[in-house]
Amino acid sequence: MLPILRGLRLLFVQTRADFVWYFWRDGEMIFWSLAFPVFFLFVFSFALGSGSTRQTSTFLVPGLIGAQVFSSGFWGVGAMLSTFREKKVLRRIYLTPLPAWVFFAALVLYRMTLLAAQAALLATIGALCFHVRVIGNPLEIAAILALGAATFVSLGAVIGAVVRSTESANNVASVLTVPLAFVSDAYIPIDRFPGKVPDLLRLLPSTEFVDAFRGIAMDGQSLAHYAGWIGLLALWAVAGTAVTARYFRWV
Amino acid sequence: MNDSAISVRRLVKAYGDLRAVDDISFEVAPGTIFGLLGRNGAGKTTTLETCIGLTKPTSGSVRVDGLDPTRRPDFEQLRRRVGVQLQATSLPEKALVREILSIFFEYYGLAPHVAELAARVGLEEKLDRFVGKLSGGEQQRLALALALLHDPAILFLDEPTAGMDAFGRRILWGEIDRLREAGKTVVLTTHYIEEAERLCDEVCIVQAGRIVARDTPAALVAAYGGAATIAFSARGFTADEALAADPTLAPLGRWAKVSEHWSLAVAGEPGAALGAIVAYANARGVSIDKLDLRRPDLEDAFIAITGESLADETVGDGSGAAA
Repeated sequence: MLPILRGLRLLFVQTRADFVWYFWRDGEMIFWSLAFPVFFLFVFSFALGSGSTRQTSTFLVPGLIGAQVFSSGFWGVGAMLSTFREKKVLRRIYLTPLPAWVFFAALVLYRMTLLAAQAALLATIGALCFHVRVIGNPLEIAAILALGAATFVSLGAVIGAVVRSTESANNVASVLTVPLAFVSDAYIPIDRFPGKVPDLLRLLPSTEFVDAFRGIAMDGQSLAHYAGWIGLLALWAVAGTAVTARYFRWV
Repeated sequence: MNDSAISVRRLVKAYGDLRAVDDISFEVAPGTIFGLLGRNGAGKTTTLETCIGLTKPTSGSVRVDGLDPTRRPDFEQLRRRVGVQLQATSLPEKALVREILSIFFEYYGLAPHVAELAARVGLEEKLDRFVGKLSGGEQQRLALALALLHDPAILFLDEPTAGMDAFGRRILWGEIDRLREAGKTVVLTTHYIEEAERLCDEVCIVQAGRIVARDTPAALVAAYGGAATIAFSARGFTADEALAADPTLAPLGRWAKVSEHWSLAVAGEPGAALGAIVAYANARGVSIDKLDLRRPDLEDAFIAITGESLADETVGDGSGAAA
């Protein structure tokens, strides 16, 4: 078989395995990645709204999906890699001829699949319960989501690469995920922060991603409209990948 | 010696001030079952992990099948040629045994013979069980299956029977015999004397990061095991009287009283000594209460060489393997 075909076949097999082993058969994982964001949508729609719940939910649906994107990178991939290393799962894989790129690409694809499911669920519930309407071009929505996932998975992988212990990796992941969700225009509008603070917060890749995603999905903006931010996100993705490639240890 | 399957030269691995491996050298000829025998913490696992590229040596060199595991391109070739059973192999808990075997066949680009491989390690009944629900011994057998899966020429088995029950040990021992017949090279670490003596063509005794003896088990026993001993007791028998009465008993060895019986440390051939003692007893009509011959084994040699015993090692301490 051609190496590239063999690689693609392995990628498919590994992605499916990751999805089944780490998501489908893990009740806790299903709860945190599906039920929990929906719960947030309900609570925040009522609690954080200043205008109508519909307006609030229209803000929240892409925000919650966006927060899932970075939590997926930091927790799902970063902390997971550290756990895999500590539990000696990584070294067993390292000793097989599975190409490293397949291993990582499968993690990204598994996460993207899960994100697609999360996004679809939140959008559906938003539509049914709060009359939220997604008007963007589905292909462009998928593209910006995929770019976000690639960016935050590669930044998350940096945690897995440089943080040695599982415990510290979990701490770093929480310290990044939770505050970022609040200061990146995801849970609450950053315009509510005083003075120049919103301008500073817009320098965060998480803010750029959430705003671009929201604009494309909810306001029907085009990808081109966010070309600058998309370029920056891609740069972050490349930087994360480079740092991971440099410092990642299997053992 | 380029024809060695494995060549380790002046290997040192230091963690801070601790030299886990302190100047170890050995060569393993192709087709040899080679054992690293020693207590926990002696440096066996570190040596083995250096051979397969999991640990970088502080100094010294390692070649496996002519390849240098510290060089990336060599390592990539190496992992197709060697099979490894790690001491603590952890696999995804929510994966089925069947899925693990089949995906590892995929990794090697091989047609999956899942049922056949499972049967080989006695897991044919457990194919649809979650890896996380296997016992420690079953997980070890699964790890063994992963080492055998691609029919490698060289195998590294780290404490392969730690946490295994009698059934698992029998399976492993049977596999080693098959590998020997197939001409494979096997390096295994163990702290079980019986395993080293029964399985290995050659044994290195490792103590505090150094090799303190190396030979076939039989040669180690012959060189270091000491004398065979005969335990003997008979009504009214004392060695002093016997030696006085029959001078031919004197060259057999040294007698000593051990609780209720006499013990003879045999100087020559144990069979001749046994014959002489029985003849002495028969000639005098003394009835024999006890007559046991104990030949020295690898454990005696181990104790003589290291000044330590392996017996006080706890069983099944392949850290985490049984978790």
